[in-house]
Order: sequence, then C-alpha cells, then structure tokens
Amino acid sequence: MTEHGRIRRVIIAGLLLALTLLLALIPGIGFIPVPTPAGNATIVHIPAIIGGILEGSLVGLVIGLGFGFASLMRATIPAFKDPLVAILPRLFIGLVSAWVFSGFYHASKRTLMAGLTILVVVALVVVALLTGASPGALGWLQGLSETTAGSAAFTWWQGGLIALIMVGLAAGLMVWLQNEDRGIVATALATAVGSLTNTVLVLGMATLRGYFTAGMSLVIALAQGIPEMIVSVVVVVAVVAAVRQFGRRKARL
Amino acid sequence: MASLESLRSVSIGEYLPTGSVVHRIDARAKLLISLILGVAIFAANGYLVNLALVLLLVAFLKLARLSPRFVASTVKPALPLILLLTLMQLLFYGEGPAGSTVYLRWGALVISSAGVRMVVISLLRFGGLLALVSLLTNTTTTSALHHGVEWWLRPLTAVGLPGHELGMVMAIALRFLPILGEELEAISHAQAARTLVAERRSRWQFIRRARRTANLIVPLFVSTLRHADEMAFAMQARCYQGGRGRTQLNVRRWQVLDTLSLALAVIILMTVLILHRLPLP
Repeated sequence: MTEHGRIRRVIIAGLLLALTLLLALIPGIGFIPVPTPAGNATIVHIPAIIGGILEGSLVGLVIGLGFGFASLMRATIPAFKDPLVAILPRLFIGLVSAWVFSGFYHASKRTLMAGLTILVVVALVVVALLTGASPGALGWLQGLSETTAGSAAFTWWQGGLIALIMVGLAAGLMVWLQNEDRGIVATALATAVGSLTNTVLVLGMATLRGYFTAGMSLVIALAQGIPEMIVSVVVVVAVVAAVRQFGRRKARL
Repeated sequence: MASLESLRSVSIGEYLPTGSVVHRIDARAKLLISLILGVAIFAANGYLVNLALVLLLVAFLKLARLSPRFVASTVKPALPLILLLTLMQLLFYGEGPAGSTVYLRWGALVISSAGVRMVVISLLRFGGLLALVSLLTNTTTTSALHHGVEWWLRPLTAVGLPGHELGMVMAIALRFLPILGEELEAISHAQAARTLVAERRSRWQFIRRARRTANLIVPLFVSTLRHADEMAFAMQARCYQGGRGRTQLNVRRWQVLDTLSLALAVIILMTVLILHRLPLP
C-alpha cells in the first residue's frame, strides 16, 4: 500500500468511527422505528460494513469495536448492558463484510459459480434431511429445527418449496452477476451478510446469556433483521458505488 | 424541524479549559481512572452504592469546574425516549425472582420491587457513566487523549498491531464528531429545502421513514468519505508518516498528582467491591 493509502486508511477509520458515534448518540437518526417488540431497526452498524468493504477487515473491526462501546453506553435494556452481547458480536460485522466483499470481488467467475453450486447443494442436502424422510441418522438436526422453529421438521411440500426458493435465488444471483457491475453485487452481498451477522450473533448471544427466549429472538430476527438488512443494502450500495465509482451509478450523486 | 437543533448539542469530545486540578492530571492516568471507575459503576448493584457513586462523580465534576447542569442538559433531547423506555421497562419487567414484592398488577402489567430496583439502578448507572464520560472528554484536549491512548496501546505494537494508528483513529473520531454533527445539520436543512424532511411518523410507515433517513445518511457518508482523500493529502504534505520515529513536542512526565488520583480510583473500586458483599439496600 502507498503512503497515501496508508494515511487514508487511518483517516477513513477515524471518520467512520465518528459517524458511528454520531448515529448512536443522536436520538432519532440512527434508529428507525418499526412495529416490533424491540422497537427500532438500527442503522448504526452501517459504518462498520462500509469500513470493512472500503478499507479491509482491520478497519471494519475497529469501527465494530466503537459500535459495541457506543451500544454499551447508550443501552436502555439490560441485554445490551452486557459487554458479551453489546461488544463481542459487533466485532464480526466489519470482519465478515470485508471477507465476503474481497472474496466476491477478486474471485474469478468460474470459482464463484463453483462456490455457489456447492453452497446450493449443501443447503439442499440439509433441507432434504430436515424434510423428515430419514429420521434416526440425523435426528439431531431435526431436534435442532424443533427447538428453533418450535415445530417438527418440514413436511415434504415445505421442503420442496424451500428448495425451489433457494435454487431460484441462486439462479437470480448468477443472472445478476452477469449483468451488473461486479463491485455492486459484491457490495450488496457483503452488506447483506454483514447485517445478518449483526442480527444473528447479537440475538444468539442474548439468547445464550438468557436475556431473550429463543422464540422472542426469532420474532425479532424476522421482524427487525430483514428491514435492517434492506436499509443497509440500499444505503451501503449507494455510498460505496459513489465513492469507488462502481458501475452505472458513476454519473449520479 | 425542532429535532435539528439537537444536533449541535453533542458535547462529547469538546474540551472546556477551566484550568482545574482535574485538567492537570495526566491523560494516561485519566484514561485508566475512567476505566476503573467505569468498572466500579457496573459493579455497583444497590441503591445506596450507586447513588453514592453518582454523587461522588458530580462532586468530581464540581472539582473540574464543570457545571453538572450543563452535562445533564446534553441528554435533554433524548429525555422523552429515555422516560418512555424506563416506563416500558418498569411495566413489562414482570414479577422478577421469588421474594420480590408485587406492588401493582393489572392484566399483563406488573410493577414489582425487582422491576423498580432494576430501573432505578439502570438510571443511576446511566447518570454515572454520563458524568464519567464528560469528566474525561471535557477536561482533556484531543491531542492529550490521543497520546494517552497511544501510550496504552504501545504494547500492541510488539505483536504487530498498529498502536499509533489506532490512537490516531480515535483522535480523529473525537475531533470530527462535532464537525460531522454540523454537516448532518447542513444536509438536513438542504434536504428540508427540497421538502425531504425526516419528520416524525408512526412506526407503521416504516418504508417512508427509512427512505427519508437514507436521504440524510447517504450524502453524509459520501461527503465524509470524500473529505478523507483531501485530508490524507494534507497530512502527507505535512510529512505525517505514521508512528515511525515520531516524537512529542511536550513530553508529559508522570507526577505525584497522577499517582494520587489513580490510587483514589482504585480505592473507590475496592470500596464498591467490598460493599457489594454487604447486605445493603
């Protein structure tokens, strides 16, 4: 990295950290009210994702740490007064986004296709096993689905529907990759995964530490994690595309 | 539009030179003291001890010649939200562990002694942390804070992590917090002029709220990141090259005052930990 790049990395980390604190500390900006038990969808994790995508995992990690501290400081419900819930999961937001982005951005098209195919096959096998055709050998997997979803493993048509949706998503992703700038696709995916990391790890940790029940976490994850993911993807793609001059968005903003 | 005025009241990170004895404590000592007192605030778990800690910190604010009223006024914009959440916490806490008294029960709403206790203690902790943060940042210049953090991060350099750069990141963040706040205010005025105001709407109009928030956030991020490039050139032109061979103009020496204040913080923490074992209310 050039001297200029090294200095810019430090500055970007600092500025994004300041933005994190700003979003976390000013009421009404960093949180969008939604009708769920927890009440607010957060956008405070967005700087960590942007830092990870633009400047790599170390910057993402540092900003995630700042987010964790801010979240601990302004915590109003007991779960977030616990550093294990407020800080530890936040470290991974930037890390995961950085890895997903660079993996996707730098991989060759063939590697991507192969990776996607393997992922879909593995997912299909898991769904097939959960569909209830084979109790016994993988009974623990079914047990897992029983505790998390609160129902028995899928019936055959539910399994089929899920498989269909997954194959459709994978195909859609392939078509998208063919037509859209690689940078934008990689940014969108990295953001979605980074946002999910926040939701899953924080709620998982809160459940493990006994603040929420599993059912409560699942409801919050669906009602809040998904809006958070959509908002972050919209914002991060707009920002990163403008800064890195990706794709057709060059002239806008 | 009234919400925009609150942006300027982000006072964390603002240095207030009142020239008190607290200002003279070394930043390195102050950072460690803040950490110790922070641990003490979280360790304290009783009405008396938490109240005593808050009063002690307010006394320290007085000692630093900062007005406790000014510090408290920084949370004024968030007050309705805090009150609402406190009320919700109080009403939905439930009965708590066995042995707690139920004061009021109305359907699913229960006010129990355990709920009251948790709410009061969280509020006291919040007050303590607020005083502590302002005690650190309002009495220390950002450059002193930066040197302090850098000094504490120095062991990290030995394992290959960039200690100096991490300190720099923190210094930049604290320095730019008010500036970015002003920038956000300017953007919201500009968007308001284009009738894209983020007015208060109900929770159910989620998409509209999200879109209006994006109208503020995206320009803020893009303009901030554009500054970064210019600032990097400016710093390079002034021969900034990271931590290598960097020396300080004014080398701060550790003094008796620093040792004394550090000892006081340790004593406070020990007292809290000892009181923790006694059956106080």
